Amino acid sequence: MAFVEQHIHDEPKTFWSKYIFSFDHKVIGKQFLWSGIFWLLVGGLLALLIRWTLAYPGVPFPVIGNLLFPNSGGVVPPDTYAMLFSMHGTIMIFFAITAILIGAFGNFCIPLLIGARDMIFPTLNMLSFWFGFGASVLMIVSFFLPLGAAAGGWTSYPTLSTNLGQPGAGQTLWLISLFLFGVSSTMGAVNYITTVITLRAPGMDYFKMPLTVWGLFLTSILNAIFVPVLGAGLLLLTFDRVFGTTFFLAGAAATSGKGDPILFQHVFWIFGHPEVYILILPAWGIVSDLLSFFARKPAFGYKMTALSLSTITILSTVVYGHHMYTTQMSPLLTQSFMTLTMLISIPSAIFFANWLGTLWKGSIRFTSPMLFSLGVVFVFGLGGLTGLYLASTSIDLYLHDTYFVVGHFHYTMAASVLLGGFAGIYFWMPKMFGRMMDERLAKIHFWTTMIPLNGIFTGMMIMGYAGMHRRLYNPFIYEFMQRLIPINTFVTLCAIAMGLAQIIFLYNFFKTIFGKNIPQASANPWDVGTLEWQIASPAPYYNFKEVPVVKCGPHEFGNPNLKDGRDFQYQTEELVKP
Amino acid sequence: MMTNNPGKELQNLRNSVGMTVALISFGMMFATLFLGYFLVRSNAPTWPPVEISNLPMLLPFLSTLVMGLSSFTYFKLEKDASHRKHFWFATMALGISFLVLQWNLWGALKASGILVSNGNVPSMVYAFTWLHAAHIVMGLMLLMWLGHYLFRKPEAVTALTLLNVGKFWHFLGAVWLLMYLMLFVL
Repeated sequence: MAFVEQHIHDEPKTFWSKYIFSFDHKVIGKQFLWSGIFWLLVGGLLALLIRWTLAYPGVPFPVIGNLLFPNSGGVVPPDTYAMLFSMHGTIMIFFAITAILIGAFGNFCIPLLIGARDMIFPTLNMLSFWFGFGASVLMIVSFFLPLGAAAGGWTSYPTLSTNLGQPGAGQTLWLISLFLFGVSSTMGAVNYITTVITLRAPGMDYFKMPLTVWGLFLTSILNAIFVPVLGAGLLLLTFDRVFGTTFFLAGAAATSGKGDPILFQHVFWIFGHPEVYILILPAWGIVSDLLSFFARKPAFGYKMTALSLSTITILSTVVYGHHMYTTQMSPLLTQSFMTLTMLISIPSAIFFANWLGTLWKGSIRFTSPMLFSLGVVFVFGLGGLTGLYLASTSIDLYLHDTYFVVGHFHYTMAASVLLGGFAGIYFWMPKMFGRMMDERLAKIHFWTTMIPLNGIFTGMMIMGYAGMHRRLYNPFIYEFMQRLIPINTFVTLCAIAMGLAQIIFLYNFFKTIFGKNIPQASANPWDVGTLEWQIASPAPYYNFKEVPVVKCGPHEFGNPNLKDGRDFQYQTEELVKP
Repeated sequence: MMTNNPGKELQNLRNSVGMTVALISFGMMFATLFLGYFLVRSNAPTWPPVEISNLPMLLPFLSTLVMGLSSFTYFKLEKDASHRKHFWFATMALGISFLVLQWNLWGALKASGILVSNGNVPSMVYAFTWLHAAHIVMGLMLLMWLGHYLFRKPEAVTALTLLNVGKFWHFLGAVWLLMYLMLFVL
């Protein structure tokens, strides 16, 4: 589609128009980043409460236990435990990861990396943030209700989430909050898709876009198509709770008629499986770029990586049934879903091999973004491979709802995405805030995160393989589980270590932004040729004074014909030939 | 490719692409409802189920008629620049009558003893029509927004604004037609 040039808007002058109700994609990106980091801390605290309860049942949570649970002397009560893991999942997936990876990087990166001055619909973009903010507020409010927040798991299956399973208003607020959040995501997705289609700078073909943009673009397509599916499910469940419809009510929960609780599972996972790719695709994109940037080599098989990401996007829409093998689906269906799920390993193996190919014989610079990217390669490798076990129907029947599943999905959509997010933050920090983060602290942060992280999730998979069920308040009342107590305690200690390691990040992050005497970053501190590194750091409000004309791909490194001592080319330069 | 008139071109592109993507999103929401309908229907021992054998037929038929007419008047609004305001009034009036008819439909359902909690099928009839009506309200707000420009600043109304509002309005008409066929006719 033809390129269109946006006008340069007037510079916002007042505090409100500059920082609060801003139309600038960079400011909105930062707003998402701040709220994402806030929720990451809340979700992390919930994770620590869960791990503490599992390792030390009946022991008060240290330091803030008495503040949080005054009635039980600082001990997490059993009914609260269900609320903790439900809210941990919800908050991390929607309010932390989606906000940081899609909200922050999507907003910040897409226009800058494709050479646009802003998103195509700035007002819609602002609305998207404020809808998300409204959703956040509702979610916070639900914690303070008399019966507490939602406790039906992040999947909120009926009957757990109907009025019988969850009598309080917490679940209803959860549903409305997620619906609002879905509206916010869909608005963002419409904006991102339209921006990528219409606002690419002249010469920026789809196959000259950085892979970060590819990842975010594909994510947005999934968002636009599948978030409304969840929206419908959430609304119908809200109707069941508030207006007395009977869509998902059956058995003892039904006052009349007979609905189908499994129907909600279908609707949920039609959305839910694409959702895990919605979360991971931006991280894959970022990592695919960063590996090339810091291996100082063109991304190996760039086109194949972009195409395999697209293939995964398509396949991800037809595999949702693998979450429901135990719902007495017809064997024909389970076999089909199993085959389709296993098919995903082919494009995944292609881009994974491309990552390794990019690294092979590169002149690798072990900067902090690179370390985190390599971390993603490692943890995603583990997470992806363990997915094959779960895809297989016969093995899944044993592993379903065990800690093996918990370990697996944390490796893929928590560990990979978290490390990818950190890589992105360290990498784009100079462009976002005009300052470099402290490299030494960043590297300490990497190792103190990476080592315990693997302790946690590998430990979980081992426990799951031995039969430990998820979502139990105290699994060790069962005799066969008691031999797992040492490894369970080890996992909790790792979790505490990883939690504490994030203080290093927070210190570094805040010091960089608000500290005194931090030098201004140069325009291109990483020696990278994509468009955003040709403008000043931090990026000016209009991004590009002259709209750039793109002449080569995003990963032109190590060209032997380059003469002036540089080992990279800007995307606006003609590819150097001998 | 640079264009001579960037502002115009920009409008062109973003309207067609943006609204299309948005309608895919809206469409998926309604498609999910229809998926639920097909699952319920394929599992039902008889169709129509006993609890809704006495569904009111006239009101939804009138709603369909009104919706179809409003699509037609909107079509005329787009094409006939000289009578644009008349057709805007006609579309608004028909849109509001549709809501009134739906309101009466809910009343009639209640009067004939079909309550929201009477089982799957009444749940669907109510929930689907609620959700559709909520979108009609959004559509009417878009029409009001269009009307604001039509009467205050007619020169600001471009063919693309008309196309956009129209796309959304016709889309709601199509969704209603499907709902009508599925819930009341077939």
